[in-house]
Amino acid sequence: MAEKNGALAADAAGAAPELTLERVNVAPAQTWNRLRTNDITLTVPAHSRAGDVYFSLPRLFEGVECGMGRKVTDWVESQAADARYVEVPRGERREEPIVVAVGTGDVADTGVMVRSGAEATIVVAAGAGEKDGETGTSASLVRIIAEAGARVHLHEYVGVGAGQQHLESVGISAARDARVDVHQYLLGGGTVALGFACDLAGERARVDLGCRYHACGTEVLDINEVVRQRGRNTRSELAYNGVLEDAARKGLRTTIDLVHGAKGAQGNEAETVLVLGDDVVNKTLPTILCDEDDVAGNHGATIGSVSPEQLAFLASRGLSREDAEELFVRALYEDALMHAPCPEARAVVNDSIGDRPLLNHGPDDSKGVCPQLNHPEEA
Amino acid sequence: MSTQLLNVSALSAGTEDKPILHGVDLAVGAGECHVLMGPNGAGKSTLGHVIMGDPAYRVTGGRIEFDGADVTELSADKRSLAGIFLSYQAPVEVPGVPLYSFLRSICQMRPELKTTARKFRERVGAIADQLELDQGFLMRELNVGFSGGEKKKIEMLQLLLLQPKLAILDETDSGLDVDALGIVSRGIQAYREQVGGALIVITHNTRILERLEVDRTHVMVHGRMVAEGPAELIADIDKNGFERFERGAGQDDAACAECPGCPMVGDAE
Repeated sequence: MAEKNGALAADAAGAAPELTLERVNVAPAQTWNRLRTNDITLTVPAHSRAGDVYFSLPRLFEGVECGMGRKVTDWVESQAADARYVEVPRGERREEPIVVAVGTGDVADTGVMVRSGAEATIVVAAGAGEKDGETGTSASLVRIIAEAGARVHLHEYVGVGAGQQHLESVGISAARDARVDVHQYLLGGGTVALGFACDLAGERARVDLGCRYHACGTEVLDINEVVRQRGRNTRSELAYNGVLEDAARKGLRTTIDLVHGAKGAQGNEAETVLVLGDDVVNKTLPTILCDEDDVAGNHGATIGSVSPEQLAFLASRGLSREDAEELFVRALYEDALMHAPCPEARAVVNDSIGDRPLLNHGPDDSKGVCPQLNHPEEA
Repeated sequence: MSTQLLNVSALSAGTEDKPILHGVDLAVGAGECHVLMGPNGAGKSTLGHVIMGDPAYRVTGGRIEFDGADVTELSADKRSLAGIFLSYQAPVEVPGVPLYSFLRSICQMRPELKTTARKFRERVGAIADQLELDQGFLMRELNVGFSGGEKKKIEMLQLLLLQPKLAILDETDSGLDVDALGIVSRGIQAYREQVGGALIVITHNTRILERLEVDRTHVMVHGRMVAEGPAELIADIDKNGFERFERGAGQDDAACAECPGCPMVGDAE
């Protein structure tokens, strides 16, 4: 077994024990293994927690499917110092976001129960304050149960160092009329693996997901997102927009599963990828599974460089090809800043910018970039 | 007589496989307003794009001087920074780039427009209000999902923001309803009053000209300049159409051999 062998080897060498998580972040439907896009294998630390007192989430959360799969869930539960449970009472609109801040080496296990008719904002901020040259693995497991009519806003900001690895696994269960919107900004890291699973179990439940990502150098980004539409008239809208530079490697697996009985369900998925490096490896596996007649599922992908028409238009405004390409990357970070819901998320973006100065990130502009934000500090 | 700003002389150009412009001459003084008219397919938009330096077109003869310098070989981005602006008839959609980021970037490219983020926000907000443009648009991707009228307003926003020395408006009025046309017209008027820049207005619709004081009117047919006159020529065309110019152009077809690389009259676009 990989875990035992790895631990024994580490003990013998006196290094931190490690565990190999083989074939995680797996899509429900597979393609040829030789395409190497079905999953990812990760090596993670396996510290012994013998003797620790550990608070577990309520058993209800065990039934929530998470994007990276059972192996990662088990590993996080074995490594997290504690589990955090937050409940938003029925009908309450929680103003203060539930923030999960993850630094180097941190492993967080979070469960959020959003009761019927309640509303909550959850922010995962991974990578703020990271230092160049640091190595290590961080992880966040977030499970959310949205009861009938609940509203959930999930923001995921990930930007870890080039020598670091981050695992992010999310599972959501949405009951009747629950609405979930997800905003993912994946801003780089040595290896970033993100899994997202959303079970639209109740009628008219809906998820709107927007994922923006950037990877450069030799960074690896692996994403697996699954929406299971079990309720009638459920709806999923998944939009991906990313920029890949240099020799970055990205794998994206998206699955919309229109389960038997989900009459009237609709699911749409679209991806736009801008490839700006000759050595970029970009793999996309969009899948629509359908076991019901009265449903609609669509997916599409646009992959390429900046079009000649776009270049001509941008040139007519004073931007050369290099300026235009830079604009696409910078715009992604600016968009992340514009939509950052809390200081922790903004810190992730700021720390991810590195040597890429944002034009509108001047000394008088530390709180945001757009007039729409209406930051009271700037009034 | 105003200072010469743009001087197009004997300009021939076209796409890789098709000549479109044939020996075109056009002179625009600083701060002047010129109107370029002609039937569909005359080459008006092509002329605008060639002056802008659109790489889709190849110049086969003649030259373009702007602000005292020969810009014929200059790339579009450098012409833009020199002060030429082209308002697109069909502005291009740029997914992934929020309008606000785009506006900020194009201003930061120009030393004279560099400013703090706070002042920039105020300025963009003021222009957006002037154009009755919801500031929510600033958060949206550039031109993506915008209606035709909204796209034209965004073009006007850029015009007022960049304050170019010369603005070429390529059928900015097309596809606009009466209210939007009024707003865009006021935007053009504001550009004239606040910036004092020169204009080349390519249009089929004289309503957009009602608020403008036109200095010269030019008529293009089959890729050639066939007539030039005062503002009154617009009313004449409005009344009588382009037929007489087209007849005249037909008689000049043989002269096309003078255009380098152009063995025949181009049908333009």
